[in-house]
Amino acid sequence: MGQANANFLIQEEKVFSGALSCRGCGWSLLTRHLASLLGENTVYVVPACCFSIIAGPYPLNDLKANVVHTLFAAAPATATGIRAALDRQGKTDTNVVILAGDGGTFDIGFQALSGAASRGENLLYICNNNGAYMNTGIQSSTATPFGAATTTNPGTDFRKTWPKDLMGIIAAHNIPYTATVSLAYLNDFRDKIKKAMDIKGFRLLMIDGPCPPGHKTEPSESIEETRLAVESNLFPLFEVEKGKHKINHFPKNKVKVEECLKLQGRFKHLFKKENKAIVDKIQNMTDFNWKRLKLLEKMNVDLGY
Amino acid sequence: MNQVLTDKKVTKINQKYPRHTQKVLKGNYAASESAVLCHSTVIPAYPITPQTSIIEELSNRVSVNKFDATFINMDSEHSVFAAAMGAAMTGERVFTATSGQGLFYAHEVLHGIAHFRLPIVICNVGRPSIPWNIWSDQSDSISQRDTGWIQYYGESSQEVLDDIIQAYKISEELNIPVMVVLDAFYQSHTSENIWVPDQELVDKFLPKKKLSGSEIDLNNPKSFGGLVPPDSYGNFNHGYWNDIIKVEDLTNKVGKEFEKHFGRGYGAVEEININKDTKQILVTLSTITSTARGVIKKHPEVGILKIRLFKPFPRKSILKVLSDSNVDKNKCKIITFDKNFLGDSEGALMQELRRALYGENYFIQGVYVGLGGRDVPPSTVENIIETCKTNNDEIIWIDS
Repeated sequence: MGQANANFLIQEEKVFSGALSCRGCGWSLLTRHLASLLGENTVYVVPACCFSIIAGPYPLNDLKANVVHTLFAAAPATATGIRAALDRQGKTDTNVVILAGDGGTFDIGFQALSGAASRGENLLYICNNNGAYMNTGIQSSTATPFGAATTTNPGTDFRKTWPKDLMGIIAAHNIPYTATVSLAYLNDFRDKIKKAMDIKGFRLLMIDGPCPPGHKTEPSESIEETRLAVESNLFPLFEVEKGKHKINHFPKNKVKVEECLKLQGRFKHLFKKENKAIVDKIQNMTDFNWKRLKLLEKMNVDLGY
Repeated sequence: MNQVLTDKKVTKINQKYPRHTQKVLKGNYAASESAVLCHSTVIPAYPITPQTSIIEELSNRVSVNKFDATFINMDSEHSVFAAAMGAAMTGERVFTATSGQGLFYAHEVLHGIAHFRLPIVICNVGRPSIPWNIWSDQSDSISQRDTGWIQYYGESSQEVLDDIIQAYKISEELNIPVMVVLDAFYQSHTSENIWVPDQELVDKFLPKKKLSGSEIDLNNPKSFGGLVPPDSYGNFNHGYWNDIIKVEDLTNKVGKEFEKHFGRGYGAVEEININKDTKQILVTLSTITSTARGVIKKHPEVGILKIRLFKPFPRKSILKVLSDSNVDKNKCKIITFDKNFLGDSEGALMQELRRALYGENYFIQGVYVGLGGRDVPPSTVENIIETCKTNNDEIIWIDS
């Protein structure tokens, strides 16, 4: 058997080998693609998240660029200060990029995120959404999916609230560009990075982050899991540019949500007979979200800002 | 708007402070004026009473192109200090101001700034926390004494203006942040005659910021603040310690150097009327010192030890004052004026003084005074002097 060539899209590697991620983690793959496009004229700002470890403990640096590890709640604010300083120094073309998890985005860093987005800071925000506090060991965040079990929603106390609609909230900040991306659709992912790089202002990319220890999946299934999330509309690929919604991928053969959930051990209790209604509920909500997205796309507005 | 009265006539005082302009300024404007004179370049800001007029004045000057700085309206004090951290890390000279709850909220970031070794200068206009209160109190800044920041307390607004200039010098030499503290309302919103130095004079004393080499550098990328394992962690603390122990001497040195340039000298502490016959030494921070200066004119047996550098606590300077003045340990009481309450038996000033004078056998009495903005008029200082003549309680609550 031949070795799979993982470099088929990456022209120049901007990460060093030896990242400390778990097998099948989304962070390493996403930072490889991201860094290869952003290049070295970049300052990464990292709040507490899995990537703070993956990027390397002192004195290591996994990325071929400046990396600032900052406080959990403070990444967009720290990045604001760095951006202001670089701009004063005439380095307006330097990318300032936040690499945060869902806890640092949806919960503790939410105010600073909203502040930076509202100010229109020229920053690129990447949220690797793996649906829980994975770095501390799988505790629930407000990004945790309905039905998922975590260490703070264990057993029958599994998550029974819907995750926060961060994409809707961030779009409501009237920022120039936000999009969802998936590691199973690398060309779409790379196109969106390039697009985001060409836009000035606050930009946010939300990535569906596979996490074998947290989702209770096999490392080899990471890409399949994220592909099924897109194909089942659990994680639709879309973008909002100047207020205009665009769906970037219409699943050809609609996959039921249970196909994606079944793959993940964190949902295994849902497949007991007594929880059949929960799976139906998730399917309904997913259908509703998809319909709403299509309606938003139909609005076809361009705010032109 | 701020009322500026410029004395255009050449007066006798003008000869005392050449290359200065006399203005009538409120304490907060003196702080803003100083931040401008120091060429601060990035001002992340968030409003809170009673510091707000500091940032408003800076924002105003930026808007009319009289101050070349980037002013950023942040979303909280936590974000203010985080942005300050990012800008300083990228090599800019950062200034901001806060008070009470704002400083408490920023506590986590204060630690971050100090231990990232970033030279930032801020003003804190002191007020307490709960019960809800906006008036003068030092519980906010004093409860941040263990964050690693240097703290100066300005007796007058002239001193606040001068302190900020010296603070940048010291901060940028040691890569340790500095907090200049002023009293709410009695100082922040009270007008004083202030000598504002000419820009060239300040520029000569405080040149443009020199980079330390540890900033974000696009040609030499680095990682900042990655997880430090146990076998290296203490090295960072040790390196910090090597520099924080220099602060007291450097404060005295820079204070003397400042006098050569500006005609006004400063030290870590100031002794007033302390000698072998002194019966009471009042230990003070900030504006209470001025009130006490007036009161002791009628009490030749009472002296004042003003603490200007509170953190790190200037033990050497205090011991020197006491031994050089031949203070009689058996006859002299040392009385601390604590305008802070930190939930312990003694106030912070008493704790620090006891630590500094450990093994020296001085009689130290702690007085809680002026909490939550309660006025400390001359009569209160008189009352303390009289009370302590006969009352030997360890702790005295003078007004309550």
